[in-house]
Amino acid sequence: MKVLVTVKEVAAVEDEFEIDGTAIDEAYLEYDLNEWDDYAIEEGVQISESEDDVEVVSVTIGPERSEETIRMALAKGADRAVRVWDDSLEDAEMLDVEAKTNLLAAVVEEEEPDLVLSGVQADDDGFGATGVSLADEVGFEWAAVVNDLELDVEGGVASVRRELEGGVEELTDVDLPAVLTIQTGINEPRYASLRGIRQAQRKEIKPMTLDDLGLSADVAESDLEIVDMYEPETESDATLFEGSPDETAGQLAEVLRDGGVGQ
Amino acid sequence: MLDYVGLEADLGEEERLIRDTARDFVEDKVRPDIADHWQDATFPTEIIEEMGALGFYAPNLDGYDLPNVSEKAYGLLMQELEACDSGVRSMASVQGALVMYPIHAFGSDAQKDEWLPKLGHGEAVGCFGLTEPNHGSNPSAMETHAEADGDGYVLNGSKTWITNSPIADVAVVWAKDRSDDENPVRGFLVETDKAGVTTNKIDDKLSLRASITGEIALDDVHVDADDVLPHVRGMKGPLSCLTQARFGIAWGAVGAAQDCFETALEYATDREQFGQPIGGFQLQQRKLAEMATQITNAQLLAHRLADLKERGDLRPQHVSMAKRNNVRMARETAKTAREMLGGNGITGDYSPMRHMANIETVYTYEGTHDIHTLILGEDLTGIAAFE
Ligand SMILES: Cc1cc2nc3c(=O)[nH]c(=O)nc-3n(C[C@H](O)[C@H](O)[C@H](O)COP(=O)(O)OP(=O)(O)OC[C@H]3O[C@@H](n4cnc5c(N)ncnc54)[C@H](O)[C@@H]3O)c2cc1C
Repeated sequence: MKVLVTVKEVAAVEDEFEIDGTAIDEAYLEYDLNEWDDYAIEEGVQISESEDDVEVVSVTIGPERSEETIRMALAKGADRAVRVWDDSLEDAEMLDVEAKTNLLAAVVEEEEPDLVLSGVQADDDGFGATGVSLADEVGFEWAAVVNDLELDVEGGVASVRRELEGGVEELTDVDLPAVLTIQTGINEPRYASLRGIRQAQRKEIKPMTLDDLGLSADVAESDLEIVDMYEPETESDATLFEGSPDETAGQLAEVLRDGGVGQ
Repeated sequence: MLDYVGLEADLGEEERLIRDTARDFVEDKVRPDIADHWQDATFPTEIIEEMGALGFYAPNLDGYDLPNVSEKAYGLLMQELEACDSGVRSMASVQGALVMYPIHAFGSDAQKDEWLPKLGHGEAVGCFGLTEPNHGSNPSAMETHAEADGDGYVLNGSKTWITNSPIADVAVVWAKDRSDDENPVRGFLVETDKAGVTTNKIDDKLSLRASITGEIALDDVHVDADDVLPHVRGMKGPLSCLTQARFGIAWGAVGAAQDCFETALEYATDREQFGQPIGGFQLQQRKLAEMATQITNAQLLAHRLADLKERGDLRPQHVSMAKRNNVRMARETAKTAREMLGGNGITGDYSPMRHMANIETVYTYEGTHDIHTLILGEDLTGIAAFE
């Protein structure tokens, strides 16, 4: 069985930063593994530890710098990795969901995984759509916002629990091959051990260009355009209640009632 | 943490991953409770195996499922652990540099096979018994001794100030072999559940409180001939372990100081008096500038030490200079940071005073500041002031 885990290096913004045109100035960005993907890696590695003959392949779309992030996935137990990048991707202002879907779909075609695990969303651009869009493109079954997973490898079924709005949870059986978008909290991601980090240096990160994937440069073209980037006005509207607990509780109740809560 | 001249920007990928792993682990698993452990004088024993699983013990050694990372990566690990608490770094130093290192360097294959995997994974705890009640700075005058007896030896004597002895499974005990004409110091692997071994805990420490310290009393303890470390005789044995551990301390002291600095900087930019942040006053800025400069100097020395160690050009005297300088720097930095926090600085809510108290131990163990001064003095003049 082969599990493909998509991972992304996300940008985190420092507390103080400056906006440069339609982007945040590089000087204020730090890069890290996307939080959701950390859970997806852990889920993949746990599958490989509990089942026989499971290969966990990690894939990322990103420049050379992102090798450090994907190396973290290898250090945590992924067997090998694929990194997709190309000059024409470098030049694109933004890779939208469609572009990523097409890139990842080409990788899925190449790798033929039984299961694709992605994070629910990326911490930076937060489209929250890539996993499901990929499933649609490659014709896999899918389940989004998965917070529990039981795999029946022989039966080819993933029994998942999905987190819906308003605290509702849904139990679903999904036939493989499938794409699952993994929610934080599904497991407790491990720390990479020093042994794992060492071993990861010897694991393969295969670079792939658009040519290698049989795609042309227009894959990066997007109907979306970032037109502006600005800091929203921050408004703070704090009410301070004073008095005994009895009095302040009453005041709070009033505010909640006025706000439409608990009628 | 402070890295003013960007030394860590030049790290290799592996070293950066190791630093980040250590930093995340400490942040999530150790830092939240460390002040309570310090107040209660307990060690967070649940992290012993976790740190083993992560490969934090003797990571710079090879074989036996040990990670074999670079000396710089090992140093960075010590830096990150001590940024949390010197007690946590001491745990890793003792287990790795003082117990696993001598077994790795001087042990028999059987000793290595038996102990290194267990110690490396934190499934067993080791301690290092050199200091005695009457012999601290001058351990070569030790009284603990071994006498040949049938198929092994009988050990007698007492060791004190031994980190982790009350929780240790095995002690590396340094003792003089009286059955040998030259009366050399030899290393013995002594399991602490053996008849005649007692390991009383030392209470009421005002420093390194989040670390367990004890004695080792040896009363006619029988060990097998196989329990002697076969490949070393004389003071070179314990001293070479100390060089390994002191290298880690030179790095660890930087971490403790960085943590003090960060705490003071944050406080100075938040706390307002006379209508502005205290960090806006020249007196406080001078303190920050001085701390940052001294930390950076110490950090440079530590990084240079790692390069020398990696290529095999490191001399013990280099390590003495770095241990001496960096721990003194951390001692000063902790004091200054504490001072900048005003009244809040004397509580356990902020790290500097805890670091400040801890550093008194670090200043004293692994060769006191004075002793390293004498080592450097001897190296520079060729005249030993302590013999
Ligand atoms: C918390 C803690 C943990 C420890 N853990 C361990 C451990 O795991 N294993 C272990 O073996 N030991 C351990 N030690 C012991 C430590 O290494 C000794 O305390 C240290 O070597 C100093 O010895 P001493 O305390 O006997 O001081 P002394 O040697 O008596 O020194 C007292 C003072 O005299 C000064 N002095 C001594 N000789 C000279 C000289 N020739 N010239 C000028 N000044 C001199 C010293 O610098 C010091 O200021 C630990 C100590 C502490 C506090």
